[in-house]
Amino acid sequence: MYVSAKVATEKCIGCKICLSTCPEPNVFVYIKEEKKVQINEGRCKGCGLCVTVCPKQALSIGS
Amino acid sequence: MNKGLVKISPCFEDVMPQEYKELVEKGSYGQDYGVADLGSFKELIEEHPLCAGCGLALSMRLILASLPNPESTIIVGSTGCSALAFSQVALHNIHSLFGNQNAVATGLKRALKLRFPDEIKDVVVIAGDGATADIGLDMVMQSWFRRENITTIMLDNEAYANTGGQESGMTAEKAVLNMAPKGKNFPKVNLADVAQVAGCAYVATCNPAKSRVLEKAVKRAILAAREIGPTYVQIYAPCPTNYKLKPDEVLATVKNREKEGTYPTGEFISAKAQELFESLEGGSK
Repeated sequence: MYVSAKVATEKCIGCKICLSTCPEPNVFVYIKEEKKVQINEGRCKGCGLCVTVCPKQALSIGS
Repeated sequence: MNKGLVKISPCFEDVMPQEYKELVEKGSYGQDYGVADLGSFKELIEEHPLCAGCGLALSMRLILASLPNPESTIIVGSTGCSALAFSQVALHNIHSLFGNQNAVATGLKRALKLRFPDEIKDVVVIAGDGATADIGLDMVMQSWFRRENITTIMLDNEAYANTGGQESGMTAEKAVLNMAPKGKNFPKVNLADVAQVAGCAYVATCNPAKSRVLEKAVKRAILAAREIGPTYVQIYAPCPTNYKLKPDEVLATVKNREKEGTYPTGEFISAKAQELFESLEGGSK
């Protein structure tokens, strides 16, 4: 089963903490206009570090 | 490196890989990007083969994002987990014999000084704890004694991680690893203190849980190495595979170790370096 991080867009506040926590490059993309993050799921290894630091529980690991 | 070098020749646009095109369009060459801008530019590192949740990969990513002058930086690596990711880094890099990294960097820096006397060329050594504190300690120390203008960054995962988990000089006392089943029986080498005594102008110990602190330390180390002399940055990057951590426990481990005082962070700034940082925008950069 392939797992990756998912973002609940309505909960995301654009604090960008996940961006400097992910060990994989170019997974998170910050959308400036909406002040939200987007996930490039093909690059995610599903380690879950971003989930542990998200202050709004907007991130989860799923398939 | 001339920024034009990464440009794609006309009519070759179709055959170049997507990642390369992104690097040309949104890369960080010639831009003043930092850790705060992550997510809005194409990073210098691409999909790497390191484990999920690897602290070393995270540190590497943060280091590459905080280089003050990526287009004219040459990184020198050494055997270890970090070297596995070097093929995916869009910077000039050299891989030499195990432990030889500081000797290679010394020659490189001297040659660059002669060849490009008017240009800034940063030579940054990024190596693991085995290459820096055990096998290459001779070369590392000698380069500090000679006051070479190079930055040494150690990614300390406290083990020889890609050969199955042997203890290294940087492993904490009594730590049990796959190939050290009885636990290590001498304390961790305090290389940060050794660096101070050996003549480094700037020494910092930090971890990837505090990305801004790490960015500041790397920037300061490179700027001080340009002007004054050798600098040393030690980054605690735990290995989830050999220390049997879950991938998502890596940052909690880092924070715990700092809280307990078993992996203290801090920095040492020599008087000369202090003057330099104060003259560069009040020491903030």
